Amino acid sequence: VDPSNFKTCEQSSFCRRSRKVQTSGSKYALIPGTLNTYADSLTADLVNKENHHQFAFKLEALVGSSFRLQIDEKQPLKPRYRVEHALKGQPQTGRIRVQRETDGEIVITSERKQGRLVVDSIRRYCRRLLKVYDHLFWFLFYYNLCFNYGHSWQETGSLSSPRISFRPQRTAGVYWQNAAETWVDIQTTETNVVSSLVNFVSGSRKTPPPAAHFISESGIVDAFILLGPKPLDAFRQYAALTGTHELPQLFSLAYHQSRWNYNDERDVTSVSAKFDEFNIPMDTMWLDIEYTDGKRYFTWDKFKFPQPLTMIKNLTELGRHLVVIIDPHIKRDNGYFFHNDCTERGYYVKTRDGNDYEGWCWPGSASYPDFFNPVVRDYYASQYALDKFQTVTSDVMLWNDMNEPSVFNGPEITAPKDLIHYGNWEHRDVHNLYGHMHLMGSFAGLQQRDPNQRPFILTRSHFAGSQRYAAIWTGDNLADWSHLQHSIKMCLTEAVAGFSFCGADVGGFFGNPDAELLERWYQTGIFLPFFRAHAHIDTKRREPWLFPERTRLVIQNAVLKRYSYLPLWYTAFYELEQTGEPVIRPLLAHYPLDKEAFGIDNQLLVQDRLLVRPVMQQGVGKVDVYFPSVDDKKNGDLWYDVDTYQRQEKSGYVSVSVDEYKIPVWQRGGSILPKKERQRRASTLMINDPYTLIICLDRQGKATGSLYLDDEKSYAYRKGHFIHVDYEFSNGQLINRFIGKPNYKTEAWIERIVIAGLERVPNGATITVNGVTQQLEVLPHEGHVVVRKPGIKMDVDFALKLNF
Amino acid sequence: SGEVLRPVGVSLAKAALYQPRADKSWTCLDGSRSIPFTQINDDYCDCPDGSDEPGTSACAQGKFHCLNKGHQPIDIPSSQVQDGICDCCDGSDESQLVACPNTCQELGAAAAVQRRNEAELFKKGAERRQELITRGKQMRAERESRRLELDQRLKEQELLRTEKEQLKQNAEAFETEAIDAFKEQHRELDTDTAKAEEEPKEMRKEASLSFIEYDTNTDGFVEVTELMVDMVLDKDRNGVVTKEEARYFLDERDRVDIDAFITLSWPRIKPLKMLAEGLFQPPTPEDSTGDAAQQTEATPEKINPTSPHLNDEQADLAGDDDIEADEEGDEDQYDDEEPDVGVGEATPDVEDAKPPVYDPETQRLIQQANEARNALEEVERSIREIEHEVKEIDEQNGKDYGPNEEWAVLDGQCYTFEDREYVYTLCPFDRTSQKSRSGGAETTLGRWEQWIGQPKKYSQQKYANGAACWNGPSRSAIINIKCSLEPKITAVSEPNRCEYYFEFETPAACDSEAFQAETDNLHDEL
Repeated sequence: VDPSNFKTCEQSSFCRRSRKVQTSGSKYALIPGTLNTYADSLTADLVNKENHHQFAFKLEALVGSSFRLQIDEKQPLKPRYRVEHALKGQPQTGRIRVQRETDGEIVITSERKQGRLVVDSIRRYCRRLLKVYDHLFWFLFYYNLCFNYGHSWQETGSLSSPRISFRPQRTAGVYWQNAAETWVDIQTTETNVVSSLVNFVSGSRKTPPPAAHFISESGIVDAFILLGPKPLDAFRQYAALTGTHELPQLFSLAYHQSRWNYNDERDVTSVSAKFDEFNIPMDTMWLDIEYTDGKRYFTWDKFKFPQPLTMIKNLTELGRHLVVIIDPHIKRDNGYFFHNDCTERGYYVKTRDGNDYEGWCWPGSASYPDFFNPVVRDYYASQYALDKFQTVTSDVMLWNDMNEPSVFNGPEITAPKDLIHYGNWEHRDVHNLYGHMHLMGSFAGLQQRDPNQRPFILTRSHFAGSQRYAAIWTGDNLADWSHLQHSIKMCLTEAVAGFSFCGADVGGFFGNPDAELLERWYQTGIFLPFFRAHAHIDTKRREPWLFPERTRLVIQNAVLKRYSYLPLWYTAFYELEQTGEPVIRPLLAHYPLDKEAFGIDNQLLVQDRLLVRPVMQQGVGKVDVYFPSVDDKKNGDLWYDVDTYQRQEKSGYVSVSVDEYKIPVWQRGGSILPKKERQRRASTLMINDPYTLIICLDRQGKATGSLYLDDEKSYAYRKGHFIHVDYEFSNGQLINRFIGKPNYKTEAWIERIVIAGLERVPNGATITVNGVTQQLEVLPHEGHVVVRKPGIKMDVDFALKLNF
Repeated sequence: SGEVLRPVGVSLAKAALYQPRADKSWTCLDGSRSIPFTQINDDYCDCPDGSDEPGTSACAQGKFHCLNKGHQPIDIPSSQVQDGICDCCDGSDESQLVACPNTCQELGAAAAVQRRNEAELFKKGAERRQELITRGKQMRAERESRRLELDQRLKEQELLRTEKEQLKQNAEAFETEAIDAFKEQHRELDTDTAKAEEEPKEMRKEASLSFIEYDTNTDGFVEVTELMVDMVLDKDRNGVVTKEEARYFLDERDRVDIDAFITLSWPRIKPLKMLAEGLFQPPTPEDSTGDAAQQTEATPEKINPTSPHLNDEQADLAGDDDIEADEEGDEDQYDDEEPDVGVGEATPDVEDAKPPVYDPETQRLIQQANEARNALEEVERSIREIEHEVKEIDEQNGKDYGPNEEWAVLDGQCYTFEDREYVYTLCPFDRTSQKSRSGGAETTLGRWEQWIGQPKKYSQQKYANGAACWNGPSRSAIINIKCSLEPKITAVSEPNRCEYYFEFETPAACDSEAFQAETDNLHDEL
């Protein structure tokens, strides 16, 4: 993305004006006698002392230690836009209590004791927490975990994500819900912004608080304050508001092979065959815009793709999937049914004068359906029905790109702000929500097409709550080491902001990666939730076999590793749906007492089980890895190298040697994780394959961990057809405990249990299932032992005891 | 023979390796461990080399052997065993539940038919190939004898040149003497001659003034940027004086001093100045007479904005990425141009000057000198022609037409293929190109480079250094070659931006002996 395409705050008049507002000397005041306290909220009226304009203020307590603050004009000349469809539903309110009102300080609590919102006084509150300046507002806020977005937020339109701040013992976040153009100025007195303190949560006032200034062009103040206190609490609080990903189909967590473009049917089929020839697993082939008939979505180029259904069958018969792109720009062509429908029925976004807006995008002259209109979303959804879109099957999934929306000849490459949407809202009011509305239509379309198959959609634009519908990628990156490094930073940021299903184009979209960069990119990509290789049409082909054998083998090795961990990824996504806890997490999510860990953005955790530090620099033989401490006394967890079971016992930086195959990853001592170690050409073919449990013991010789499994495809799990099980190891014994009733029939079984961290090598093991006891062989290895072939079915209770 | 006892997934050849010892143990094929024989194919991987699980998917490194009776046996990776997909035609890689049909008989029969057809094709094709070989060898022999002949002629012509050179020098000496004498006599009488003598001086003066005008930074040099401001120098009339255009006037240098400007730049600039002032119209063929016409023949190309060469340049500047056209334009121009005609001599002054009327004796000497010059020129032209032909022959001899010269006949032929958008042309051993069906210039996809087939060298050709791609490399093309009775292109694709693949068929590829050897190999495996 070229930053010069986008305005800076200085170039934006509303931002330039608003930025000057000072934190002290407010011209706003509470109107005496208007403060009302209800069971779940406080309301009051505010006034601008200069122009006597009045505002309605409301502070609501929500369940789970969150507050919602809303401010709107009392008598607006024109109503202000309130964001719709971002929240999962109406937030559940809790009880609000004004606890103390002494000496100018108010403490407001929700029902949980730890959620205290301390307000110095209503007056000071109004001055410090909130300032109203005509149509914009600002207030104090915790510095967020500000990983570098580069400029991608411009492209992804993801500004309205929660900002979450971390500090030892206290974590809080703010979700600023606004769909208009927004700047956030962050003012901090500390150089290490990540460790900044915020006073109003803790009540301590030792250092001046950092402040954040939210500058939105239009809309109301609608801020959610998430009070933590632990990082995972803040994540859960945000998830409670905006929802989580649905459990994705397993295949979508496997490897995706994309390119702009696979040229024709023969190309698709031969690339798929080559993956088999070189025994590299691959689940999904992708088709970019060139498959269409002249960029008319819902059609195919009849010359390059004369038999799409045959091509799709060739893929699905091998357990593979196809994803096709469908963008929101509609070619203005009188021979195109979609365009004619939209024109006749008035479905397009309008200009100020009420005409259909025409912009320029891939098809040339194009118009944009107004997805804010529910009727348009319904129409759009209905186009996915198999009797309408007859050239795909219900196994063909979807890629929604360019939905910011991209307009090549528009200001800042998007739609002009004065376009008119459904409900007579201007584009300036709703811009950042356009992609989200597009997704709602797409998601409904796929669900209606096949109500028992979980949709898979990849989107570029997204808003708070879009995670309920789609996965994202980080946009058009570059085949460059710095962009490889960014892929982790960006996806971690998304993950703590509710968007776990994130990945970056492996290899880099623009440019040609050399062999080493491509190898390292694959090795990094396998540890991000969405794993897809993709490339620009002007780049050289880069399928793994086009590189020297070593590169092909390194890539094969990495992809196989991804497949072996699929049970962990799948479990993590199920648990995300249940709890709102991200699939990948920054170190601070689990090590909030370790200040050093706060700034680390080249490592990530998969749940709390794996610590990943990919090699993301050129030509290095060593990388520095940071092992976090669990307290402020440098005590750390035990970490086991997943390849060698070599153990890291101390916290702090450790220099680790790497060769070209090495992906530095450790499993946390105290965790158990499930794997599948058999190779298949696609993940869907692994469904009956046996599991391996990897048990890494903590200092007490204990470990726990979970496994989730189901049919990997349908919504039957919503009706209880799944197996979710906790494994627990202590005192030389492994037992399982089902979470809910195991209610899914599977051929899978446990073929191997690996245990690392034992003090002595057992000479065998005894397994008891349904009162029947059997002896098992235990094979000693360097740093670990392997219990050979326990043969346990996944849905039975068992106890396995090591014999010494 | 299928009755040998062997674990599932083991080939007949390896069956003997899967026998238990007396104590019912068995050692992994890599010798790394011993395991109970009962653990073979027990769906748990015990051997690091995967040899204990030939019939299951348990080992990552494993191979499963499909017997495929009736067709060809193959090894598949163990990742494809019991995955619900029938990979072996005998269905042996899947359990009964999957119910794979046994298709080996059909496939075997179809493969046999295909092999027969191919053998037939190669047999027939081999006859045509033999013709190509005969022609090719004949062509090489012809080239070689022609080469010897040319060598001989070249020697003769070189001797002749020495002789004519001498004659010319002598004649010119007389001519110069006579003219000088004539001039001496007519100095006062002939004002025209005086004026003619003045011409160069005036030229110098004009040029010097112009130099001072152009040298705006007065550093004693005229630079590219200093010329770029004078719109008169916009040769192609596209509204800007490009760096390339400016450099042309500086004799392709970055800057020139005053002497170089006068001798090299001014003669190029002046016609344009005059053109701009309406003083000079380039001569049309009808206007041209005698020596003057011959001398100026090449020059209008340089200054006439509508000449083909400049058209190419315009097209180039207008965004056509086909630099090839430009290069070709240059070549054409060099071919047309007499090598000894400097651009500077083509000034209008020379043309306008009226030749003086000499006395008969001087005229006779001039005539003799002209004849001597022409005679030498004729010999030199003849030498150039011979050298040109020698070069061509050497180039052809340098090309690899195959061990039996079977590809030689293809050099000089061109084949075309049309798809929806383009017409593709392949001229073997020369070039490949592409032309849009909706018109426009031809784009070179590559020039002949070499044979690159692996392992069969003569199955693939590479053409490289085609027209540059926007934002990318030069275009290139790979030609995959197969045997057929008639030469033709069967498909063209562009899997990589600007890298083209041609599927080409020709009887030259019908090497039936190699084909036979290959199929024999196949039979040995069976």
